[in-house]
Amino acid sequence: MNNRSIAYIGAGIAALIIVIALVSMQFGGHHGQTTLAGGKDYIVVGTKPNKLFLVDPAARKVVQQYTIPGEGSPFTIDTSPDGRIAYVLTESMNAISGIDLDTGKQVFRAEFSTPEERVRSIGGFAVSPDGKEIFVQESAAKLLPSEYVVEPARVAVYRTDAGLNAKPARTFEIPRRVIMLIPSTNGKILYAMGWDMYALDPQNGHIISTKPILHWNRPNASPPDILDVWPLYERSQVFSTAYFYTRTDIAPDKPGFAKTGILTLDLKTGVMKMRDFEDTSAVIFSTVVDPTDHDRVFGAFYTLSKIDLAKGRLAQRVDLPHSYYAINVSSDGKELYLGGTMNDLEIYSASTMKKLGDIKLPGGADMAASSLRVIHR
Amino acid sequence: MRHLKPLNARARQKATSSAPDAEEVVTMAGVAGCVTTFDPGWEVDASGGLSSLCQPMEADLYGCSDPCWWPAQVPDTMVTYPDWNAKAPSAAQDWRQLQSVFPKKSG
Repeated sequence: MNNRSIAYIGAGIAALIIVIALVSMQFGGHHGQTTLAGGKDYIVVGTKPNKLFLVDPAARKVVQQYTIPGEGSPFTIDTSPDGRIAYVLTESMNAISGIDLDTGKQVFRAEFSTPEERVRSIGGFAVSPDGKEIFVQESAAKLLPSEYVVEPARVAVYRTDAGLNAKPARTFEIPRRVIMLIPSTNGKILYAMGWDMYALDPQNGHIISTKPILHWNRPNASPPDILDVWPLYERSQVFSTAYFYTRTDIAPDKPGFAKTGILTLDLKTGVMKMRDFEDTSAVIFSTVVDPTDHDRVFGAFYTLSKIDLAKGRLAQRVDLPHSYYAINVSSDGKELYLGGTMNDLEIYSASTMKKLGDIKLPGGADMAASSLRVIHR
Repeated sequence: MRHLKPLNARARQKATSSAPDAEEVVTMAGVAGCVTTFDPGWEVDASGGLSSLCQPMEADLYGCSDPCWWPAQVPDTMVTYPDWNAKAPSAAQDWRQLQSVFPKKSG
Protein backbone atom coordinates (compact mmCIF):
# COMPACT_ATOMS: atom_id res chain seq x y z
CA MET A 1 0.00 0.00 0.00
CA ASN A 2 1.58 3.27 -1.07
CA ASN A 3 1.36 6.67 0.58
CA ARG A 4 -1.27 7.84 -1.89
CA SER A 5 -3.56 4.92 -1.00
CA ILE A 6 -3.08 5.59 2.69
CA ALA A 7 -3.96 9.24 2.10
CA TYR A 8 -7.15 8.22 0.25
CA ILE A 9 -8.12 5.81 3.04
CA GLY A 10 -7.37 8.44 5.66
CA ALA A 11 -9.48 11.00 3.86
CA GLY A 12 -12.26 8.43 3.47
CA ILE A 13 -12.23 7.60 7.19
CA ALA A 14 -12.26 11.30 8.07
CA ALA A 15 -15.21 11.90 5.75
CA LEU A 16 -17.03 8.91 7.25
CA ILE A 17 -16.47 10.22 10.78
CA ILE A 18 -17.84 13.63 9.75
CA VAL A 19 -20.90 12.04 8.13
CA ILE A 20 -21.56 9.84 11.19
CA ALA A 21 -21.15 12.87 13.44
CA LEU A 22 -23.57 14.93 11.37
CA VAL A 23 -26.12 12.13 11.19
CA SER A 24 -25.90 11.45 14.92
CA MET A 25 -26.31 15.16 15.64
CA GLN A 26 -29.44 15.19 13.54
CA PHE A 27 -30.99 11.83 14.27
CA GLY A 28 -29.13 10.26 17.13
CA GLY A 29 -30.04 10.03 20.77
CA HIS A 30 -30.03 13.19 22.77
CA HIS A 31 -26.54 14.74 22.94
CA GLY A 32 -26.34 17.35 25.64
CA GLN A 33 -27.89 20.76 25.48
CA THR A 34 -30.17 21.62 22.59
CA THR A 35 -29.84 25.19 21.35
CA LEU A 36 -32.93 26.35 19.53
CA ALA A 37 -33.24 29.40 17.35
CA GLY A 38 -35.58 31.91 18.97
CA GLY A 39 -38.97 33.03 17.73
CA LYS A 40 -39.75 29.89 15.75
CA ASP A 41 -42.32 27.14 15.64
CA TYR A 42 -41.32 23.61 16.50
CA ILE A 43 -43.37 20.43 16.29
CA VAL A 44 -43.38 17.96 19.18
CA VAL A 45 -44.52 14.47 18.22
CA GLY A 46 -43.90 10.87 19.28
CA THR A 47 -43.55 7.47 17.65
CA LYS A 48 -43.39 3.89 18.74
CA PRO A 49 -41.84 2.36 20.71
CA ASN A 50 -41.15 5.29 23.08
CA LYS A 51 -39.59 8.10 21.06
CA LEU A 52 -40.25 11.79 21.17
CA PHE A 53 -39.12 14.19 18.44
CA LEU A 54 -38.55 17.91 18.16
CA VAL A 55 -39.00 19.02 14.56
CA ASP A 56 -38.12 22.30 12.89
CA PRO A 57 -40.85 22.55 10.24
CA ALA A 58 -39.31 25.57 8.50
CA ALA A 59 -36.05 23.66 7.98
CA ARG A 60 -38.04 20.48 7.24
CA LYS A 61 -35.91 18.43 9.60
CA VAL A 62 -35.83 16.70 12.95
CA VAL A 63 -33.60 18.67 15.30
CA GLN A 64 -33.66 16.37 18.30
CA GLN A 65 -34.97 13.03 19.47
CA TYR A 66 -35.56 11.72 22.95
CA THR A 67 -36.22 8.34 24.50
CA ILE A 68 -39.10 8.38 26.94
CA PRO A 69 -38.12 6.27 29.96
CA GLY A 70 -40.15 3.12 30.46
CA GLU A 71 -42.31 1.05 28.17
CA GLY A 72 -45.23 2.05 26.04
CA SER A 73 -45.98 4.30 23.11
CA PRO A 74 -46.50 8.06 23.37
CA PHE A 75 -50.12 9.10 23.24
CA THR A 76 -51.32 12.57 24.24
CA ILE A 77 -48.64 15.28 24.47
CA ASP A 78 -48.85 18.69 26.09
CA THR A 79 -46.10 21.20 26.77
CA SER A 80 -45.19 23.75 29.41
CA PRO A 81 -46.20 27.32 28.49
CA ASP A 82 -42.58 28.20 27.69
CA GLY A 83 -42.28 25.18 25.39
CA ARG A 84 -39.36 23.74 27.33
CA ILE A 85 -40.94 20.60 28.78
CA ALA A 86 -43.04 18.08 26.90
CA TYR A 87 -45.40 15.99 29.01
CA VAL A 88 -46.25 12.69 27.37
CA LEU A 89 -48.90 10.13 28.22
CA THR A 90 -47.04 6.82 28.03
CA GLU A 91 -46.72 3.33 29.54
CA SER A 92 -49.98 2.13 27.99
CA MET A 93 -51.78 5.24 29.27
CA ASN A 94 -50.61 4.55 32.81
CA ALA A 95 -48.07 7.35 33.28
CA ILE A 96 -47.08 10.85 32.29
CA SER A 97 -43.43 11.56 31.63
CA GLY A 98 -42.11 15.12 31.49
CA ILE A 99 -39.11 15.50 29.20
CA ASP A 100 -36.94 18.63 29.26
CA LEU A 101 -36.57 19.40 25.55
CA ASP A 102 -33.29 21.24 26.12
CA THR A 103 -31.46 18.61 28.16
CA GLY A 104 -33.38 15.47 27.20
CA LYS A 105 -33.75 14.53 30.86
CA GLN A 106 -36.93 13.27 32.45
CA VAL A 107 -37.94 15.92 34.99
CA PHE A 108 -41.44 14.69 35.86
CA ARG A 109 -43.03 11.28 36.21
CA ALA A 110 -46.42 10.27 37.54
CA GLU A 111 -47.54 6.64 37.59
CA PHE A 112 -51.29 6.34 37.97
CA SER A 113 -51.87 2.74 39.06
CA THR A 114 -51.17 1.05 42.37
CA PRO A 115 -51.30 -2.66 43.28
CA GLU A 116 -54.88 -2.13 44.47
CA GLU A 117 -56.13 0.10 41.71
CA ARG A 118 -55.73 -0.04 37.93
CA VAL A 119 -55.86 3.42 36.40
CA ARG A 120 -55.67 4.56 32.82
CA SER A 121 -56.00 7.98 31.26
CA ILE A 122 -57.63 7.77 27.88
CA GLY A 123 -55.84 10.74 26.48
CA GLY A 124 -57.38 13.54 28.48
CA PHE A 125 -54.70 15.60 30.14
CA ALA A 126 -53.60 19.19 29.99
CA VAL A 127 -51.02 21.48 31.54
CA SER A 128 -52.40 24.58 33.26
CA PRO A 129 -51.66 27.88 31.47
CA ASP A 130 -49.29 28.91 34.29
CA GLY A 131 -47.40 25.64 33.90
CA LYS A 132 -47.74 24.72 37.57
CA GLU A 133 -50.27 21.88 37.35
CA ILE A 134 -51.26 18.95 35.17
CA PHE A 135 -54.88 17.83 34.97
CA VAL A 136 -55.31 14.14 34.16
CA GLN A 137 -58.56 12.41 33.30
CA GLU A 138 -58.45 9.06 35.08
CA SER A 139 -60.54 5.97 34.61
CA ALA A 140 -59.94 3.70 37.59
CA ALA A 141 -60.96 0.26 38.79
CA LYS A 142 -60.30 -1.31 42.18
CA LEU A 143 -58.81 -4.77 41.82
CA LEU A 144 -60.59 -6.99 44.32
CA PRO A 145 -59.97 -10.73 44.62
CA SER A 146 -62.90 -11.75 42.46
CA GLU A 147 -64.05 -8.60 40.78
CA TYR A 148 -63.13 -5.18 39.50
CA VAL A 149 -65.04 -2.27 40.97
CA VAL A 150 -65.37 0.70 38.68
CA GLU A 151 -64.66 3.94 40.50
CA PRO A 152 -66.11 7.34 39.73
CA ALA A 153 -64.64 9.20 36.81
CA ARG A 154 -62.16 11.73 38.13
CA VAL A 155 -59.44 14.23 37.46
CA ALA A 156 -56.12 13.94 39.25
CA VAL A 157 -54.15 17.16 39.59
CA TYR A 158 -50.38 16.94 39.79
CA ARG A 159 -47.94 19.74 40.51
CA THR A 160 -45.35 19.96 37.75
CA ASP A 161 -42.60 20.44 40.36
CA ALA A 162 -43.48 17.13 42.04
CA GLY A 163 -40.48 15.34 40.53
CA LEU A 164 -40.13 11.75 39.37
CA ASN A 165 -42.48 10.11 41.84
CA ALA A 166 -45.35 12.55 41.57
CA LYS A 167 -48.56 11.90 43.48
CA PRO A 168 -51.81 13.79 42.93
CA ALA A 169 -52.05 17.05 44.87
CA ARG A 170 -55.83 16.68 44.72
CA THR A 171 -58.51 14.78 42.86
CA PHE A 172 -62.12 15.53 42.03
CA GLU A 173 -64.95 13.65 40.38
CA ILE A 174 -66.12 14.58 36.91
CA PRO A 175 -69.06 13.44 34.78
CA ARG A 176 -68.60 10.10 33.08
CA ARG A 177 -67.49 9.82 29.45
CA VAL A 178 -65.17 12.82 29.60
CA ILE A 179 -62.09 12.35 27.43
CA MET A 180 -60.88 15.84 26.56
CA LEU A 181 -59.62 18.30 29.19
CA ILE A 182 -58.98 21.84 27.93
CA PRO A 183 -57.97 24.78 30.16
CA SER A 184 -59.29 28.25 29.42
CA THR A 185 -56.58 30.71 28.42
CA ASN A 186 -56.66 32.45 31.80
CA GLY A 187 -56.64 29.15 33.69
CA LYS A 188 -59.82 29.88 35.61
CA ILE A 189 -61.90 27.20 33.88
CA LEU A 190 -61.13 23.61 33.00
CA TYR A 191 -63.34 22.52 30.12
CA ALA A 192 -64.20 18.83 30.07
CA MET A 193 -65.79 17.45 26.93
CA GLY A 194 -67.99 14.41 27.25
CA TRP A 195 -71.61 14.14 26.29
CA ASP A 196 -71.72 17.88 26.90
CA MET A 197 -69.09 20.57 27.44
CA TYR A 198 -68.66 21.05 31.16
CA ALA A 199 -66.95 24.18 32.50
CA LEU A 200 -65.26 23.07 35.72
CA ASP A 201 -63.63 24.95 38.56
CA PRO A 202 -60.04 23.66 38.27
CA GLN A 203 -59.63 23.81 42.04
CA ASN A 204 -62.43 21.43 43.00
CA GLY A 205 -64.19 20.23 39.86
CA HIS A 206 -67.46 22.03 40.59
CA ILE A 207 -69.48 22.37 37.39
CA ILE A 208 -69.78 26.10 36.75
CA SER A 209 -71.87 25.69 33.62
CA THR A 210 -72.78 23.09 31.03
CA LYS A 211 -72.93 23.77 27.31
CA PRO A 212 -75.09 21.13 25.62
CA ILE A 213 -73.65 18.92 22.90
CA LEU A 214 -75.46 15.57 22.97
CA HIS A 215 -78.37 17.26 24.70
CA TRP A 216 -78.76 20.02 22.15
CA ASN A 217 -82.36 20.83 21.28
CA ARG A 218 -81.86 21.46 17.60
CA PRO A 219 -85.13 20.62 15.80
CA ASN A 220 -85.24 17.71 13.37
CA ALA A 221 -81.76 16.59 14.38
CA SER A 222 -80.38 13.44 15.98
CA PRO A 223 -77.91 13.85 18.84
CA PRO A 224 -74.51 14.73 17.36
CA ASP A 225 -71.66 12.24 17.33
CA ILE A 226 -68.11 13.30 18.21
CA LEU A 227 -64.84 11.39 18.37
CA ASP A 228 -61.93 13.46 19.61
CA VAL A 229 -58.75 12.68 21.52
CA TRP A 230 -56.53 15.30 19.87
CA PRO A 231 -55.79 18.49 21.80
CA LEU A 232 -54.72 20.81 18.97
CA TYR A 233 -55.77 24.27 20.04
CA GLU A 234 -52.54 25.87 21.28
CA ARG A 235 -51.83 28.21 18.37
CA SER A 236 -55.32 29.74 18.11
CA GLN A 237 -56.62 29.26 21.67
CA VAL A 238 -59.80 27.94 20.08
CA PHE A 239 -60.65 24.28 20.59
CA SER A 240 -62.43 22.65 17.67
CA THR A 241 -63.85 19.29 16.77
CA ALA A 242 -66.02 17.86 14.01
CA TYR A 243 -69.51 16.60 14.78
CA PHE A 244 -71.86 14.47 12.73
CA TYR A 245 -75.62 14.01 12.94
CA THR A 246 -78.59 13.02 10.86
CA ARG A 247 -81.81 14.84 10.09
CA THR A 248 -84.97 13.23 11.42
CA ASP A 249 -87.15 14.99 8.82
CA ILE A 250 -85.25 13.77 5.77
CA ALA A 251 -85.28 10.23 4.42
CA PRO A 252 -81.96 8.39 4.77
CA ASP A 253 -81.65 7.99 1.00
CA LYS A 254 -82.14 11.71 0.32
CA PRO A 255 -79.42 14.38 0.07
CA GLY A 256 -79.01 16.36 3.24
CA PHE A 257 -79.82 13.44 5.56
CA ALA A 258 -76.34 13.33 7.18
CA LYS A 259 -74.70 16.59 8.21
CA THR A 260 -71.20 17.56 9.31
CA GLY A 261 -70.33 20.59 11.38
CA ILE A 262 -67.58 22.05 13.49
CA LEU A 263 -67.79 22.74 17.21
CA THR A 264 -65.58 25.64 18.28
CA LEU A 265 -64.88 26.70 21.85
CA ASP A 266 -63.06 30.00 22.23
CA LEU A 267 -60.80 29.49 25.24
CA LYS A 268 -60.50 33.24 25.84
CA THR A 269 -64.19 34.15 25.73
CA GLY A 270 -65.85 30.81 26.53
CA VAL A 271 -68.15 31.13 23.51
CA MET A 272 -69.03 27.74 22.05
CA LYS A 273 -70.62 27.38 18.61
CA MET A 274 -71.76 24.36 16.62
CA ARG A 275 -71.97 25.26 12.95
CA ASP A 276 -72.82 22.92 10.06
CA PHE A 277 -70.82 23.25 6.88
CA GLU A 278 -71.71 20.34 4.58
CA ASP A 279 -73.82 17.31 3.89
CA THR A 280 -71.55 14.59 5.21
CA SER A 281 -69.15 13.59 2.46
CA ALA A 282 -65.92 12.82 4.32
CA VAL A 283 -64.86 11.64 7.73
CA ILE A 284 -62.82 14.17 9.69
CA PHE A 285 -60.79 12.97 12.68
CA SER A 286 -59.13 16.12 13.95
CA THR A 287 -59.42 19.82 13.25
CA VAL A 288 -57.46 22.98 13.94
CA VAL A 289 -58.49 26.64 13.88
CA ASP A 290 -56.53 29.19 11.87
CA PRO A 291 -54.79 31.47 14.41
CA THR A 292 -55.34 34.44 12.08
CA ASP A 293 -59.01 33.77 11.27
CA HIS A 294 -61.06 31.88 13.83
CA ASP A 295 -63.82 31.21 11.29
CA ARG A 296 -61.41 29.19 9.17
CA VAL A 297 -60.88 25.60 10.25
CA PHE A 298 -58.83 22.79 8.75
CA GLY A 299 -59.73 19.13 9.17
CA ALA A 300 -57.86 15.94 8.37
CA PHE A 301 -58.26 12.22 7.94
CA TYR A 302 -57.86 10.78 4.45
CA THR A 303 -58.65 14.18 3.00
CA LEU A 304 -57.57 17.67 4.01
CA SER A 305 -60.48 20.10 4.31
CA LYS A 306 -60.56 23.87 4.52
CA ILE A 307 -63.80 25.00 6.11
CA ASP A 308 -65.29 28.48 6.02
CA LEU A 309 -67.48 28.69 9.11
CA ALA A 310 -68.47 32.31 8.46
CA LYS A 311 -70.21 31.20 5.27
CA GLY A 312 -71.00 27.71 6.54
CA ARG A 313 -69.40 25.92 3.63
CA LEU A 314 -66.54 23.68 2.61
CA ALA A 315 -63.98 25.96 0.95
CA GLN A 316 -61.60 23.32 -0.40
CA ARG A 317 -60.78 19.64 -0.05
CA VAL A 318 -57.81 17.66 -1.32
CA ASP A 319 -56.86 13.99 -1.06
CA LEU A 320 -53.99 12.95 1.19
CA PRO A 321 -51.38 10.21 0.59
CA HIS A 322 -52.91 8.15 3.41
CA SER A 323 -54.94 8.72 6.56
CA TYR A 324 -53.63 11.16 9.16
CA TYR A 325 -55.16 11.49 12.61
CA ALA A 326 -53.74 14.82 13.69
CA ILE A 327 -53.54 18.26 12.09
CA ASN A 328 -51.91 21.38 13.44
CA VAL A 329 -51.03 24.81 12.12
CA SER A 330 -48.10 27.24 12.22
CA SER A 331 -48.36 30.34 14.38
CA ASP A 332 -48.79 32.54 11.31
CA GLY A 333 -51.52 30.30 9.91
CA LYS A 334 -49.63 29.71 6.67
CA GLU A 335 -48.61 26.05 7.02
CA LEU A 336 -50.53 22.95 8.04
CA TYR A 337 -48.84 19.97 9.67
CA LEU A 338 -50.28 16.48 9.36
CA GLY A 339 -49.19 13.54 11.47
CA GLY A 340 -50.28 10.55 13.45
CA THR A 341 -50.94 7.07 12.01
CA MET A 342 -47.72 6.27 10.07
CA ASN A 343 -44.21 7.74 10.05
CA ASP A 344 -44.36 10.80 7.81
CA LEU A 345 -45.15 14.38 8.77
CA GLU A 346 -46.74 16.22 5.87
CA ILE A 347 -46.61 19.97 5.35
CA TYR A 348 -49.33 21.70 3.31
CA SER A 349 -49.98 25.29 2.38
CA ALA A 350 -53.03 26.67 4.18
CA SER A 351 -53.81 28.99 1.28
CA THR A 352 -53.31 26.74 -1.74
CA MET A 353 -53.76 23.38 0.03
CA LYS A 354 -50.79 22.11 -1.98
CA LYS A 355 -48.13 19.91 -0.43
CA LEU A 356 -45.00 21.83 0.56
CA GLY A 357 -42.90 19.02 1.95
CA ASP A 358 -42.66 16.02 4.22
CA ILE A 359 -40.43 14.80 6.99
CA LYS A 360 -39.73 11.15 7.73
CA LEU A 361 -39.22 10.57 11.42
CA PRO A 362 -36.05 8.66 12.34
CA GLY A 363 -36.54 4.97 12.98
CA GLY A 364 -39.47 4.58 10.63
CA ALA A 365 -41.93 3.78 13.44
CA ASP A 366 -45.59 4.73 13.52
CA MET A 367 -46.84 7.84 15.28
CA ALA A 368 -50.16 6.02 15.82
CA ALA A 369 -52.31 8.16 18.12
CA SER A 370 -49.56 10.54 19.25
CA SER A 371 -50.53 14.18 19.56
CA LEU A 372 -48.84 16.63 17.22
CA ARG A 373 -48.21 19.84 19.14
CA VAL A 374 -46.75 23.08 17.83
CA ILE A 375 -44.70 25.13 20.27
CA HIS A 376 -43.31 28.60 19.67
CA ARG A 377 -40.07 29.54 21.37
CA MET B 1 -72.15 -21.29 52.12
CA ARG B 2 -71.11 -23.64 54.91
CA HIS B 3 -72.06 -26.60 52.73
CA LEU B 4 -69.89 -25.39 49.85
CA LYS B 5 -66.20 -26.16 49.52
CA PRO B 6 -63.94 -24.05 47.35
CA LEU B 7 -62.45 -26.28 44.68
CA ASN B 8 -60.01 -24.03 42.87
CA ALA B 9 -57.58 -21.21 43.64
CA ARG B 10 -59.99 -18.44 42.72
CA ALA B 11 -62.77 -19.88 44.88
CA ARG B 12 -60.37 -20.32 47.83
CA GLN B 13 -59.25 -16.72 47.43
CA LYS B 14 -62.86 -15.60 47.40
CA ALA B 15 -63.73 -17.69 50.46
CA THR B 16 -60.91 -16.25 52.53
CA SER B 17 -61.19 -12.70 51.25
CA SER B 18 -62.09 -9.93 53.63
CA ALA B 19 -63.29 -7.77 50.75
CA PRO B 20 -66.88 -6.53 51.01
CA ASP B 21 -69.66 -8.05 48.95
CA ALA B 22 -70.03 -6.93 45.38
CA GLU B 23 -71.51 -3.51 44.80
CA GLU B 24 -73.69 -2.37 41.98
CA VAL B 25 -72.07 -2.79 38.58
CA VAL B 26 -71.59 0.43 36.66
CA THR B 27 -70.01 1.21 33.33
CA MET B 28 -66.55 2.65 32.94
CA ALA B 29 -66.21 6.35 32.33
CA GLY B 30 -64.60 5.71 28.99
CA VAL B 31 -62.75 3.05 27.14
CA ALA B 32 -60.25 1.65 29.62
CA GLY B 33 -59.04 -1.83 28.97
CA CYS B 34 -60.29 -4.00 26.21
CA VAL B 35 -63.16 -5.58 28.12
CA THR B 36 -64.95 -2.23 28.16
CA THR B 37 -64.95 -1.72 24.43
CA PHE B 38 -67.87 -2.97 22.42
CA ASP B 39 -66.90 -1.81 18.98
CA PRO B 40 -67.33 -4.66 16.53
CA GLY B 41 -63.73 -4.53 15.34
CA TRP B 42 -62.76 -3.86 11.75
CA GLU B 43 -65.37 -1.31 11.06
CA VAL B 44 -67.54 -0.45 8.14
CA ASP B 45 -68.24 3.14 7.30
CA ALA B 46 -71.57 4.90 7.46
CA SER B 47 -72.55 3.56 4.07
CA GLY B 48 -71.65 -0.02 4.95
CA GLY B 49 -68.49 0.11 2.86
CA LEU B 50 -64.80 0.60 3.47
CA SER B 51 -63.93 3.74 1.51
CA SER B 52 -64.36 6.12 4.44
CA LEU B 53 -62.18 4.13 6.80
CA CYS B 54 -58.54 4.73 7.52
CA GLN B 55 -56.36 4.12 4.47
CA PRO B 56 -54.40 1.92 4.38
CA MET B 57 -55.62 -0.22 7.25
CA GLU B 58 -52.06 -0.39 8.61
CA ALA B 59 -52.16 3.37 9.23
CA ASP B 60 -54.95 2.79 11.70
CA LEU B 61 -53.75 -0.40 13.37
CA TYR B 62 -51.90 0.97 16.38
CA GLY B 63 -53.97 4.10 16.82
CA CYS B 64 -56.92 1.78 17.32
CA SER B 65 -55.37 -1.25 18.97
CA ASP B 66 -53.37 0.64 21.62
CA PRO B 67 -56.50 2.22 23.14
CA CYS B 68 -58.34 -1.09 22.66
CA TRP B 69 -60.65 0.02 19.91
CA TRP B 70 -60.62 -3.41 18.28
CA PRO B 71 -60.77 -5.79 21.24
CA ALA B 72 -61.98 -8.83 19.40
CA GLN B 73 -59.44 -8.71 16.61
CA VAL B 74 -56.16 -7.69 18.21
CA PRO B 75 -54.62 -8.39 21.61
CA ASP B 76 -55.17 -6.13 24.58
CA THR B 77 -51.91 -4.18 24.56
CA MET B 78 -53.16 -1.82 27.25
CA VAL B 79 -53.04 -4.39 30.05
CA THR B 80 -52.56 -8.03 29.14
CA TYR B 81 -50.21 -8.19 26.14
CA PRO B 82 -48.27 -4.91 26.19
CA ASP B 83 -45.48 -6.35 24.03
CA TRP B 84 -47.66 -7.63 21.20
CA ASN B 85 -46.34 -5.10 18.69
CA ALA B 86 -42.93 -4.49 20.29
CA LYS B 87 -41.16 -6.05 17.28
CA ALA B 88 -43.30 -4.22 14.79
CA PRO B 89 -42.96 -0.46 15.32
CA SER B 90 -44.18 0.19 11.77
CA ALA B 91 -47.39 -1.67 11.05
CA ALA B 92 -47.00 -1.31 7.28
CA GLN B 93 -43.40 -2.58 7.28
CA ASP B 94 -43.39 -5.04 10.15
CA TRP B 95 -46.85 -6.62 10.14
CA ARG B 96 -45.39 -10.08 9.65
CA GLN B 97 -44.02 -9.82 13.19
CA LEU B 98 -47.51 -9.51 14.63
CA GLN B 99 -48.52 -12.86 16.00
CA SER B 100 -51.47 -14.45 17.73
CA VAL B 101 -51.46 -14.53 21.51
CA PHE B 102 -52.72 -17.19 23.86
CA PRO B 103 -53.74 -16.98 27.51
CA LYS B 104 -51.03 -18.06 29.90
CA LYS B 105 -51.86 -20.98 32.13
CA SER B 106 -52.42 -19.81 35.67
CA GLY B 107 -51.64 -21.91 38.69
